[in-house]
Amino acid sequence: MDIVVCIKRIPDTADVVGIDASKKDIEKDSLAFKINDWDDYALEAAVQLKEKQGGSITAVTVGPKEWDDILRRALAMGADKAIRVDQDMVTADCYAVAKVLDALIRDLSYNLVLFGAQSEDFGCSQLGVMVAEMLGIPHAALAVSLQVADGRIHVSRELEAGMLESYTIELPALLTIQTGINRPRYISLGGIKRAMSKELQVMSLSDLGLSLDTLAPMVRLEKLELPPRGKEAELISGSPEETADQLARILQNSGIF
Amino acid sequence: MAEILVVAEHRQQKLADVSLQILSKGRQLADKAGIELIAVVIGADVSGYAEELARWADKVLAVKIDTPGESLAEPCQKILSSIIKDRKPKLVLIGHSSFGMDLAPSLAVELDAPLATDCIDISMQNDSIVVTRSIYNGKVNAVYSFVPCEIVIVTGRIGEFASEESDRKGEIEKIDFRLEEDLGYKVFEGYIEQEVGGVDITQADVLVSVGRGLKDKENIEMAEELARALGGIVACSRPVVDSGWLPAEHQVGLSGKTVKPKLYLALGISGAFQHTVGLKGSEMIVVINKDARAPIFSVADYGIVDDIFKVVPALTQKIIELKG
Amino acid sequence: MALAEYKYKDILHRCFRCGYCKFPTNWIDVNNCPAYARFRMESYSCGGRLWLTRAWLNGEIDWTDHLAQIMYSCTACKNCEEKCPLRFNVDIVDMIRATKSEMVERGLIPSVVKEFLENIQRQGNPYGKARAKRGEWIGGTGIPQYEGQEFLYYVGCVGSYDTRAQETARTLGKVLIKAGLPFGVLGSEENCDGNEVNTLGEETLFEMLAEENIQKFRDLGVTKIVTLSPHSYNTMKNDYPRFDGSFEVRHYTQLLRDLITQGKLNFSGGLNARVTYHDPCFLGRWNGEYDTPRQILNSIPGIELIEMEKNKTGALCCGGGGGNFYTDFLAGSESSPARIRAREAYATGASILAVACPNCMTMLEDAVKAEGLEGELAVKDISEIVAEVCGLA
Repeated sequence: MDIVVCIKRIPDTADVVGIDASKKDIEKDSLAFKINDWDDYALEAAVQLKEKQGGSITAVTVGPKEWDDILRRALAMGADKAIRVDQDMVTADCYAVAKVLDALIRDLSYNLVLFGAQSEDFGCSQLGVMVAEMLGIPHAALAVSLQVADGRIHVSRELEAGMLESYTIELPALLTIQTGINRPRYISLGGIKRAMSKELQVMSLSDLGLSLDTLAPMVRLEKLELPPRGKEAELISGSPEETADQLARILQNSGIF
Repeated sequence: MAEILVVAEHRQQKLADVSLQILSKGRQLADKAGIELIAVVIGADVSGYAEELARWADKVLAVKIDTPGESLAEPCQKILSSIIKDRKPKLVLIGHSSFGMDLAPSLAVELDAPLATDCIDISMQNDSIVVTRSIYNGKVNAVYSFVPCEIVIVTGRIGEFASEESDRKGEIEKIDFRLEEDLGYKVFEGYIEQEVGGVDITQADVLVSVGRGLKDKENIEMAEELARALGGIVACSRPVVDSGWLPAEHQVGLSGKTVKPKLYLALGISGAFQHTVGLKGSEMIVVINKDARAPIFSVADYGIVDDIFKVVPALTQKIIELKG
Repeated sequence: MALAEYKYKDILHRCFRCGYCKFPTNWIDVNNCPAYARFRMESYSCGGRLWLTRAWLNGEIDWTDHLAQIMYSCTACKNCEEKCPLRFNVDIVDMIRATKSEMVERGLIPSVVKEFLENIQRQGNPYGKARAKRGEWIGGTGIPQYEGQEFLYYVGCVGSYDTRAQETARTLGKVLIKAGLPFGVLGSEENCDGNEVNTLGEETLFEMLAEENIQKFRDLGVTKIVTLSPHSYNTMKNDYPRFDGSFEVRHYTQLLRDLITQGKLNFSGGLNARVTYHDPCFLGRWNGEYDTPRQILNSIPGIELIEMEKNKTGALCCGGGGGNFYTDFLAGSESSPARIRAREAYATGASILAVACPNCMTMLEDAVKAEGLEGELAVKDISEIVAEVCGLA
């Protein structure tokens, strides 16, 4: 099975504190970066498939040089090669990024393409399904289980309220992966070092026959703003004993017990 | 055409709540802009749905197809693409549900139309559409506009728009659609419902809900003790189920259950929207989390910013003491 | 790896299940292995883990979350090494570490351990708090930045980020200033010392942390280091030389004792209290340092030092080692080792439980509260006791 997994590097949202002066980006001072959680699950799914059925995994991304670190992690996890299209498109319209990935992936040989269902930063949930349509292959979003047999893939898609929808899809196909589908393995530093010898290829937009002009966004960011405060919670403060005591009394007075 | 088109989703003999919510929003936008609101519903037997949708929409396209199952992305995309290319609505509204996520992006590419997903606000001024999205896990809002174009597709966040009462009698147009294409490359096998174990969190008066902040399966005991003291049961957010600490029937949220207890006590839960949407109906929401910036505080009635491992045992003890 | 590749394959089978590893030096109970005290199952004792390791590497049992939790519940306290009557006792703690290493390499570790290690990789501390905030503990104390002074005061992750431990970090800094010691701290330039990363089996990450620290210290001209935590003390003294990092490393109690005997720290008063001292594993069993902290306490007028029944080589670990102050595998019960230790301290009749380690501090203070002993038993760091009697409180 030849699998392509598309991954993204995102800031740890726990560190996100505020908006910068331009009002079009967040303050980037003390941000730490990591691989998008959903993409970790997608990589793990790919690695588990490869362990069962053999084949190869290519990890791809579109981003600047700093994004090599997540590709190295993907290689350490079990990807055989990695490709980065050297262009910072984080603030771009998903449609534009999808065009780049389409141009990249259509020239690779693959049976299955995996994306995380969404990213922790912008959470659009668009990219994977857009790329599927551009590649002209069937897709299913929010996969929570998958099994490959006889050139087809059996997928369960997550719906609301605990329901699942199941499909049999002909390969090649594209899936977007939901969290909880597996337990992504830990990547030790030793693993990352050992993976340094694996191939990490860097390409440019022009290598793909594209340029920023051909990728003009249709959706434009006007500004960022802080969400309105809404009703404030009444904060109980003090030592743990004091707050526990106060809360217990509030609950008792409210008739909870 | 100057109109707003809403795609209605349905499953198991019911229209999806989010469809009615965006329909209400669509009604509002259409009224303000002085244009029509069209609803599209697609399925094997849609006349009942069409009548319901006609209470809001000026016109309902009730599309009957042969394929089994209800709202499935693949056949819907084929049909909608044909309808939209024909009618060219200014704005297409779809719920940001699992169905919406499976449908909207590929539909947008097929129509070469701009798409903004999971929007928490939508407005139309003259001819331009502006949307707001919630990003960075609820910490920041982003406002977007679109380049001039014929059709804009927007998906709306579940639970964000109020579903308002309406009593029109819109026109219903019945359409019989024969799908030309063979959709055998993506065959729908059926629905699977979660197994119901012994626990039904939707019936409890008190829920002690745990999140990633619980650190380890062993610590569930601490939450169970508190739940026992309060006469309630333990619930959780998604990461707890993903990590295998509790079975899925305890999960509150979008892909889990919606609950309305007297007390929802959230321990070590950050409050991603997908979780909080399931508990907003609770009578009292109390949050204990050591991160003062956790989004869940914005839905809380009471909050304690402290380490759950310090507060919870003290709280359990105090409750037992007060009970006498 | 199969058993054939395991570093200790030739001696792994030698545990003959005598069970001594669970006893304290004075034999008074059978609960001195902190994980065994918590769970009361043989799997959780050193011998149990060794046999489980053998079964796992032999393919007799499969890896499960539970197996990983058993391994990671080891706090590396060395009680087992102290009591094991066999010659291979010097290796047994390392053998568990090697098992954890194997789990790390295969990526099969409990999710909370994964979090711990990923947080360190990303932010230089297990809490995952922003690196840029590491120096915030300094506040307005005037504790100076290191710029080539004689001593580097190395604080560590717990002292830098845990609110209670930050108080200790500040107090110690003030005491050193009072003693006129030329020193500085790294603040947000400080990075994790790696001791826990090592005990958790992430060898390459540990190497990287050690090498980076050593390079940084060299670049800054550091020769003498005084640490807040015995964990930092242990790794910098015993492991860093392996990476060509040879510095004169002391735990702060050793420095304070000298400053007191040299007359550089004078007590303006005494402390009338019964005090009991809890030996931190990384100062005591790991480095044989039992006397220095006691010398300090004994030198303070008014203090009546009472020993717990299990002390020195037989001290019960607080349960915070091996990353457990974060992963909390031993939490959630009155049999948690920290709570047992709090009860043991209380039983001496002491009003103060003295500690010399920020991990012990956080574990035991929480335990005292969980036991409902707040107000009766105060947990104080030795630096805080010294600060009090020097008029610095």
